[in-house]
Amino acid sequence: MRGRPNLYTDYRKESAVLPNLTQKFWFVVLLFFAFSLCLIASDYWILLLTTSFLIAVAAWGLNIVSGFAGQISLAHGVFVGIGTYTASVLGGVATTYVIGYELDMIIWLPLSGLSAALIGLLIAPISVRLKGLNLGLVTLALVFIGSHLFSNLKFITGGAGLGRKAAKLVLFGFDFDEGLVIGNLILEKNQLTYILALFVCVLAGLGVKNLTRSKTGRAYSAIRDGDIAAEAIGINLFKFKSSAFALSSFYAGITGALMFSVSGGVEPGTFNLIYSVTFIAIVIIGGGGTVLGPLFGALFFSLMPGAIQTAMHSFGFLGQDLALSLGQIERVIFGLFIILFLIFEPRGLWGIWFRLRNYFKAWPFSY
Amino acid sequence: MSSLKFNDVTLKFGGITALNNVSFEVKPKTLYAIIGPNGAGKTSIFNCISGIYRPTEGSVHYGDSDIKDLRPDQVANLGIARTFQNIELFENMTVLDNILIGAHRHLNYGPISSLFFSNKTRKSELEARKIAEDIIDFLEIEQFRYSYIMSLPYGVQKRVEIGRALAMDPDLILLDEPAAGMNNEETEDIARFIIDIHEEMKKTVILVDHDMNMVMDIAEEVMVLNFGEKLAEGKPEEIVKDSKVIEAYLGVSEL
Repeated sequence: MRGRPNLYTDYRKESAVLPNLTQKFWFVVLLFFAFSLCLIASDYWILLLTTSFLIAVAAWGLNIVSGFAGQISLAHGVFVGIGTYTASVLGGVATTYVIGYELDMIIWLPLSGLSAALIGLLIAPISVRLKGLNLGLVTLALVFIGSHLFSNLKFITGGAGLGRKAAKLVLFGFDFDEGLVIGNLILEKNQLTYILALFVCVLAGLGVKNLTRSKTGRAYSAIRDGDIAAEAIGINLFKFKSSAFALSSFYAGITGALMFSVSGGVEPGTFNLIYSVTFIAIVIIGGGGTVLGPLFGALFFSLMPGAIQTAMHSFGFLGQDLALSLGQIERVIFGLFIILFLIFEPRGLWGIWFRLRNYFKAWPFSY
Repeated sequence: MSSLKFNDVTLKFGGITALNNVSFEVKPKTLYAIIGPNGAGKTSIFNCISGIYRPTEGSVHYGDSDIKDLRPDQVANLGIARTFQNIELFENMTVLDNILIGAHRHLNYGPISSLFFSNKTRKSELEARKIAEDIIDFLEIEQFRYSYIMSLPYGVQKRVEIGRALAMDPDLILLDEPAAGMNNEETEDIARFIIDIHEEMKKTVILVDHDMNMVMDIAEEVMVLNFGEKLAEGKPEEIVKDSKVIEAYLGVSEL
């Protein structure tokens, strides 16, 4: 199968996820590498990678509604929160002050996505009426309502400053805390959650890719590029904006359900405005409106602390008295990157990837 | 196939009357042209048909149904397609995607099915892809299939917009100045496409344009508008002789 990778001999190949052998090969290699990382990487990096895979899912969610359908949502973090608390109530342990039902993950994981999707559907009617910044402001209101409810519904969230334990990771009766032994291989909780996160991330990514190559994704992009023309073609704006918000919130809910189960506990103050805005930043840095962009953005965002720490360690800065704490340095660098990307590469990390790939495709020629 | 009827349609924006008691009927399978000076209300008629404007008075009938109060997407789903005067293509999508999106109303599956790319989705996508290729072939835009709209010249964009309207497989197609801003050669191409759409695909076409030569050559019936009022209606050869039309278009000498 050498020769012309861009020559499609049937339409099915043209719309395939991985249209040629080279792409199939590298996808398998990458998946294998990602899988093996849980055996060779240190606990710290495994945790960072697990978070980045989960953040990627939520970033994909925001990308569906903002990147593809073009509707600004400042409330993405609230949907993550709704997913978190649905999972915590259904899968968490009850104490004297919070409720919990200790159900199996197969029940709470889809339900936390669905509950977020239901709340997402509530914004949809507003998005049909409002556009751009005005819609953004309405979603801002949702952040404040969400924050208020999260802090005050103490029997669900544990209350501000206290928080509660998140859902227990028990899948089909198997407790992740116990670890898994296969022959000589011992997989501990963090490695198991890593594999779970990788699996969910790949599935979520496939879902986004499927959207882009079907009617629904095209309708979203059409609404973004020109809603009057989209309507004149027969796209029901209400229906498609609703489904965009629902799908986006579903993705956010799934992330919320899993992310805090990995770290153990969750405090309601987490889901503030900054948290929602962070997702927007991730999508912008990664490249909005693309399939791979949010994944790049999430990896960048979550792995950066590790990279900075490693760099500072190797330069001997760590442990010295610095003007800024590590967390502050991270935030400054992240902010700087947002500015730089908006000026120099509006297509984000995906844009860089796109140009690099084309460069090597054409190599040794310049075009 | 149904006929389109305007009954005494009046469209007002505050104190401005864009259309004043306009009535006409477009019978199935005719090539009907609407001409008139700038601001005569030609595009307003299109917007009233496609549901973007709502007439202040009067009614718009398509077949037996009153389409005056329908939303644009409901009108589109009756089989009425349109193009826009200022190209309204989806800029960040490829030519192929723009044409595929025209087929939107013929694809019967929901968002969940899209998410999993189920067999139903795959099957209807492949069918739509075949139809899209026929349209690309018809409009001779094969070399631009995977190009993004914003990188294409104006003339090609106009063709893609016609392609998107054709992909809707409409019965009635509204073309808003398809030949605006084109040179003679491109205008001839467009005229040929319009004739093919009308004669071979057997569609009803309503055409708005400023290019008198083209309109008089291809149209079967012509309506002339001036300041929102109907000035004349009839066969092209009658229209060119009409004194009121000559007055509106060329002016008369004061002798």
